[in-house]
Amino acid sequence: MPIHNLGYREWKGELQSTSTRWFVVADIGIRRAWQSAWLRRMMFFAWVPGVVMGFMIFTYEQSAKQGGEVQDIMSAGAMAMVTYESPELIYRRIKQERILTGSRASIGEERHIFWSSLLLILFRRSQPFLLIPIVAVIAPPMISQDFRSRAFLLYFSRPLTKVQYIIGKAATISLYLLCVTMFPALLLYFVGVLLSPDISVLSATWDLPLRVILASFMIVIPCTALSLMLSSLTKESRYASFAWFAVWIFGHLTYVVIRSVANPGDSSMVQSLSLYETFNDLSSWILDPKLGVTHIETRFILLAVLTAVCTAVLYRRVSAPMEV
Amino acid sequence: MEHGRAMPHKETQLTMTALIELRNVTKDYGNFRALSNVDLTIRPGITGLLGPNGAGKSTLIKVLLGLVRITVGDGHVLGFSIRTSADQIRTHIGYMPEDDCYVHGLSGIESVQMIAQLSRFPATEALRRGHEILDFCGMGQERYRLVETYSTGMRQKLRFAMAIVHDPKLLILDEPTSGLDPEEREAMLNRIRILARQFAKSVILCTHILPDVQVVCDNVVILAGGSVRVSDSLDELCRMPNPSMTVTLSGNRDAYRDRLTAKGVQSEVMSLRQLRVFGEVAVLNEPLWSAATESGCIVRGLSPSKNSLEQIFLAAVREVQSANP
Repeated sequence: MPIHNLGYREWKGELQSTSTRWFVVADIGIRRAWQSAWLRRMMFFAWVPGVVMGFMIFTYEQSAKQGGEVQDIMSAGAMAMVTYESPELIYRRIKQERILTGSRASIGEERHIFWSSLLLILFRRSQPFLLIPIVAVIAPPMISQDFRSRAFLLYFSRPLTKVQYIIGKAATISLYLLCVTMFPALLLYFVGVLLSPDISVLSATWDLPLRVILASFMIVIPCTALSLMLSSLTKESRYASFAWFAVWIFGHLTYVVIRSVANPGDSSMVQSLSLYETFNDLSSWILDPKLGVTHIETRFILLAVLTAVCTAVLYRRVSAPMEV
Repeated sequence: MEHGRAMPHKETQLTMTALIELRNVTKDYGNFRALSNVDLTIRPGITGLLGPNGAGKSTLIKVLLGLVRITVGDGHVLGFSIRTSADQIRTHIGYMPEDDCYVHGLSGIESVQMIAQLSRFPATEALRRGHEILDFCGMGQERYRLVETYSTGMRQKLRFAMAIVHDPKLLILDEPTSGLDPEEREAMLNRIRILARQFAKSVILCTHILPDVQVVCDNVVILAGGSVRVSDSLDELCRMPNPSMTVTLSGNRDAYRDRLTAKGVQSEVMSLRQLRVFGEVAVLNEPLWSAATESGCIVRGLSPSKNSLEQIFLAAVREVQSANP
């Protein structure tokens, strides 16, 4: 027994607002997830593409002072990564347009195209490959482990509602996902602004941060709902991990196989089988509407339905232990 | 900011002499009726909640905590309606589950701090209070270890600490002494006594260990078959229908008994050295001592005879079993 033991004492302090209770669940979730060395490593790598692209913006902006050749090459390279076309072809097209119009497009317009292309590369090429394993590390134990260790008895015997519990868990996953999607992209944007030669860059690109935020939430919300639902379906977190990978891998493989075999003219419905393609199209449409992504409403509806169904199942599963 | 001692609204303060009032409460899980027309009033003090497995104890606790919606009936806990004020009820109740439950990946002190925060304590205050309560529960440096590494007894103490960290008015303790060694069991019962006697906490002790109930409880509720079979003070329950005394003797028991019979006092043999003597204490006082003098026996012990809790429990359970064979 400690020598300073005062025995039991009554407590007469002031209670906090009821609205902060979900934050306790989120706080615990964030700290528990951060204990994983794998997560810390992946979070480190999640910021590397942003730094590399920041360097590219720096080079792009510096080359603007010395003429347009380097800018054209970099624009062609960035657009090629977005549109999957040959960079040489794009470069030739840029040159051809210039000859036809007889002048360069405004620097603001070119800058907007280049920056949004970089942000798209970030959203389409690098971050999804980190987002999937990061969710696989954080989300599966989130609810399944609470079921296994019967922690829900501790949570729900307190003044904590099921909705607050779910919000707390969702906030944990969302925060880490935003650290992989929105925050690096915003950092990239602000690095670009800081490295730009003049303040006019803001008037040319003011819409990009808003587009980044919107695109991030379009990815984060369905991913959070889906991963939490999978976690709530089992007491074994590894099954939830398998299911998470299966949704991404088998969905995409099915899309690829159907597309190669059937070659459907309008592939929007088939494309919806692949979450990767769905998110790609959405972020492309949000970050650069000129890319001409079609049937965007189908993707929106699909993700809205997915999120709603996952949330409903999740709520039902979280309520279930009390009904036994 | 709300003060730690929120009170129920005026209308319900009138019934505050009763800690818990349930009226005609029925709870169905699909086709299965877990609780059937439960009418129950629990007054402040320590109340033992007894019942065989499947009697509906866990469901009753969930109903009291507002964790499950009742099918029929109504009730109040600490003056708050179980239908509409579950949040308020859970703010003022400390619940210690029987099941081994913990939040994975947290140390003992982090777990207690988390529970205090969920009960709306500020973070720093929750940590301070957590340490204080773990001291009270006799937990030392092991509080910094992950809960997964704890022994059964340590987990039991941790769950108790989590139940009392927010200074609740009412404690619901589900099997608080199971899995504890005799020393720890005594310490746990002592803590319960301290909370009830010194800090006026009301306690509902749900257990299968009848001696624990006999030692600490003021009242007893026995559930069987989803309904309340017995609900009364322990003293009332243990009182025999016909008053009697248990006499412990050394010397010639039969001679003593003969002397009593001669004085018109009825008795029966309980053991080699014990007799049960029928009658009121005031009436028996003189013949008991004079018979001892006359027979040359020494009266070693004299106590009012009581029903044992085990007898009461078994009688209540058998009544249900015979009704539903």
